[in-house]
Amino acid sequence: MSVSPQERISHVVRRLGIGAHGQLVAGITSVDEAIATALDLTAEPAPPPQIPAPRDVDDARRAEQRRLPAEFWFTQMIQSGRLIEERLVWFWHDHFATSIRKVRFPYLMWRQHLTIRRFATGSFADLLHAMATDPALLLYLDGVDNQAGAVNENFGREVMELFTMGRGTYAEADVVACAQSCTGWVVFIPRPGRERSRIPPDVEAWTSLFVPRRHHAGSKTFLGVTGPLDLEGAMDIILERPETKAFVASKLYGEIVGGEPDTATLQSLVAAFADYEIMRLVEAITATPQFLADETISSKVRTPLERVVGGLQAFGGHQQTLRAIGAYLETVDYMPWVPPNVAGFPRGTRLIGPHTLVHGFDAALAVGPDVPDLDGAQILHRLGIYDMSSTTRRVLDATVDPRARIALALNCPEYALT
Amino acid sequence: MSDAPATRPPTDSAEPAVEPTIEPPACGLVTRRQFIAGLGATVGVVAAGAYGISVWARREDMPATAAPSKSTTTSSSSPSSTTSLPPGAVGPGVEGRTLVVVEMGGGNDALNMVVPHQSIAYHDMRGGLAITDPIDLDGEIGFHPALEYLAARYHDGDVAIVEGIGYPNPDLSHFASMATWWTGMPGAVGANGWLGRYLDAVAGDDMLAGITVGPGPSAAMLGERAFVVSIQDFSGLAPMQPPWMDGTDELVAAWSGFAPAGMYSTGMLAAVQSAIRSAAAATDILAAALDAGTDDEPRLPGRQAGGSLHGYLDVAAQLIVSGLAPRVVYVHGFGDFDTHEGQADRHRQMMQNLDDGLSSFFAKVDAAGLNSEVVVATTSEFGRRIASNGSGTDHGTAAAHLIVGSPVAAGRHGSALDLGTVDNRGNPTYTIDFRGYYASLLEGWLGVDAETVLGGTYETVPVIGSQ
Repeated sequence: MSVSPQERISHVVRRLGIGAHGQLVAGITSVDEAIATALDLTAEPAPPPQIPAPRDVDDARRAEQRRLPAEFWFTQMIQSGRLIEERLVWFWHDHFATSIRKVRFPYLMWRQHLTIRRFATGSFADLLHAMATDPALLLYLDGVDNQAGAVNENFGREVMELFTMGRGTYAEADVVACAQSCTGWVVFIPRPGRERSRIPPDVEAWTSLFVPRRHHAGSKTFLGVTGPLDLEGAMDIILERPETKAFVASKLYGEIVGGEPDTATLQSLVAAFADYEIMRLVEAITATPQFLADETISSKVRTPLERVVGGLQAFGGHQQTLRAIGAYLETVDYMPWVPPNVAGFPRGTRLIGPHTLVHGFDAALAVGPDVPDLDGAQILHRLGIYDMSSTTRRVLDATVDPRARIALALNCPEYALT
Repeated sequence: MSDAPATRPPTDSAEPAVEPTIEPPACGLVTRRQFIAGLGATVGVVAAGAYGISVWARREDMPATAAPSKSTTTSSSSPSSTTSLPPGAVGPGVEGRTLVVVEMGGGNDALNMVVPHQSIAYHDMRGGLAITDPIDLDGEIGFHPALEYLAARYHDGDVAIVEGIGYPNPDLSHFASMATWWTGMPGAVGANGWLGRYLDAVAGDDMLAGITVGPGPSAAMLGERAFVVSIQDFSGLAPMQPPWMDGTDELVAAWSGFAPAGMYSTGMLAAVQSAIRSAAAATDILAAALDAGTDDEPRLPGRQAGGSLHGYLDVAAQLIVSGLAPRVVYVHGFGDFDTHEGQADRHRQMMQNLDDGLSSFFAKVDAAGLNSEVVVATTSEFGRRIASNGSGTDHGTAAAHLIVGSPVAAGRHGSALDLGTVDNRGNPTYTIDFRGYYASLLEGWLGVDAETVLGGTYETVPVIGSQ
């Protein structure tokens, strides 16, 4: 089946943004316009809520510490005009997967979110440096336990395997040397009634700080470089490696296009990523012939996050929507801030097992309930689906209740793909 | 619809989730604009909501069903073993047998479950938390006094006690330790679960070969291909009930209409249609199985099953006696074994629940004449510290576990922990690798090649068969 022009436009928007943006898609008349719209960062970003730093760990448990970030982030995904920013904020969260279940403090997750948002469309080198001393990541990958004399290799290994160079590009000795270089960082977590005796007065609570006496100051050899390396030095060495550009470029290609780039394509992406400018890489990816190829369109499984956000963009929500989004994404284990493991969120055919598929109907509880009485094709257009089977249309049109029709549309085969 | 689907369906993301505590949305008319405004304005509505509590917060010390990272490992090499298995990779396995795994999340205090009552070190270090009235089994160890049913089964020759289960370089965090136990591959990034790999290799098209009973999927059951279904109660595999619908049956029925048998598609669309067909079929088969032959029998309805071991085991027993005969039922998320404080009462209650739950479970299984087809094995991410902290015990390492059922080789297996020799954190050294425990079940009970499932060879214990 050939791909219709509007389906191709929709493809561009849903791959570069989060969700479906059906109403936006309906007004776009060419693929070039779609790419330009999705990559446009001229609109002012929405100001994030001012969430005050908690006084101490007890104060950090207040409900609004969790609610305000969720409200802000989901709202941005649904309605921000800076589409590519939301795609990249999600991508980098998945990339630097950090779970609140281990970090425990929403405020630290929020700070990390703001860091990701700040650098999401900027420089990967800046992002990596910021994340390497990010308090939430220091807690998540045990950086706070990593000290001279008791080296913890968790971050030292993951930073290369998952964040930068990829498996098989370094030796075990490099893991140790990287971990040693990164020793000495801790997070200032204010405990009630505890004196901050050993914390310098200029250090703010909930930030990370370098404690020289915990640092392994001696010489180490990391990826062929020998010297008294520290964390910044180790990150710079990693950024010098060509594998880092290839690994990150390939992963973002997989996010936007799907699969892995062929050798020639990867070379062109690495060239575009020479200065680690993320938007230059994105532009290069959208310029590959594969991005717009027929076989790319609807070749990926739509994630639960994309499913529910697309539904909300199309039909709005209600006062309990945030709660319903959370219940749905928890049930199918796709909750932002709660990646199932360090490798990030599942993708592909893992997302079309019975549990995840059946609970796709839970996404409908976030939508409406005041929904228009539209026929099947109209509903799917709102969801950015233009190429649909007659079977799908027939099932939708035969459904009497407009809410059930929308619930079914959110769970039809075409909408399960992106 | 009761026939198994003709197609081989894709996989499930059987990963952990926590129990959603959603309430139906308010049904007032709200426009899109109001919704967007509402995100900011309806603070009062959402603030104290389950969303905040259940989603973004965990109890500080208990990451519940969190899927962990590897961490603090000091092993010098990353496992290179395959973390997913193709069909047939481990042999066919033995048909008709069910392994029920009961995961005691939080770190069960095995020393107060299987009590070394003759150990001076135990009494010295445990102080007031030592069990002084265990049910003696052999003059050396005894069960917690709440485990009356299990003690009777032990004397009947139906309980294997495997002592000293652990692994090298143990991690004391729930998070990392759960990952280790779930994957059976410490430190393997993103590895599938040990049972997920097993199911991938043996389950073929049977999407109900592995069923998780609990608040959500378990990472132990996560695989590439296997259709690991997760259910919470007797409602089976069903979406949440929309407030505007009497039942979700019609929704699911209409849904299967998207993918009528014989429909021609290609690529991912075909995969999704096949998956929808299979999922709808699984929903029906499960519903029938959960409803079969139990009209006169009182059982815990719906939500009451949630959160209790008794309720979950009730569902597990029904899955088995209904004839569905899943190869694996994974029961988890029913209690907090993380007894840092108030241990005496809390642990007694959980031991009581375990004993009552297994008693009632086996009563149903035995009544159906299936006692030779079912084995229950316990897991937990770690044991607890020997020394009491006053009112509880902190995270420990190696621990004893139980395997229950007529087919087991009863008695003590492995070697008891040496409580007199502890590491710098006060924990004894394991005597059998937990992967050897898994291998004993995979080989001894499920009849498959454990080395391939676990990516290595580990010393096993003969827990199945006569001794």
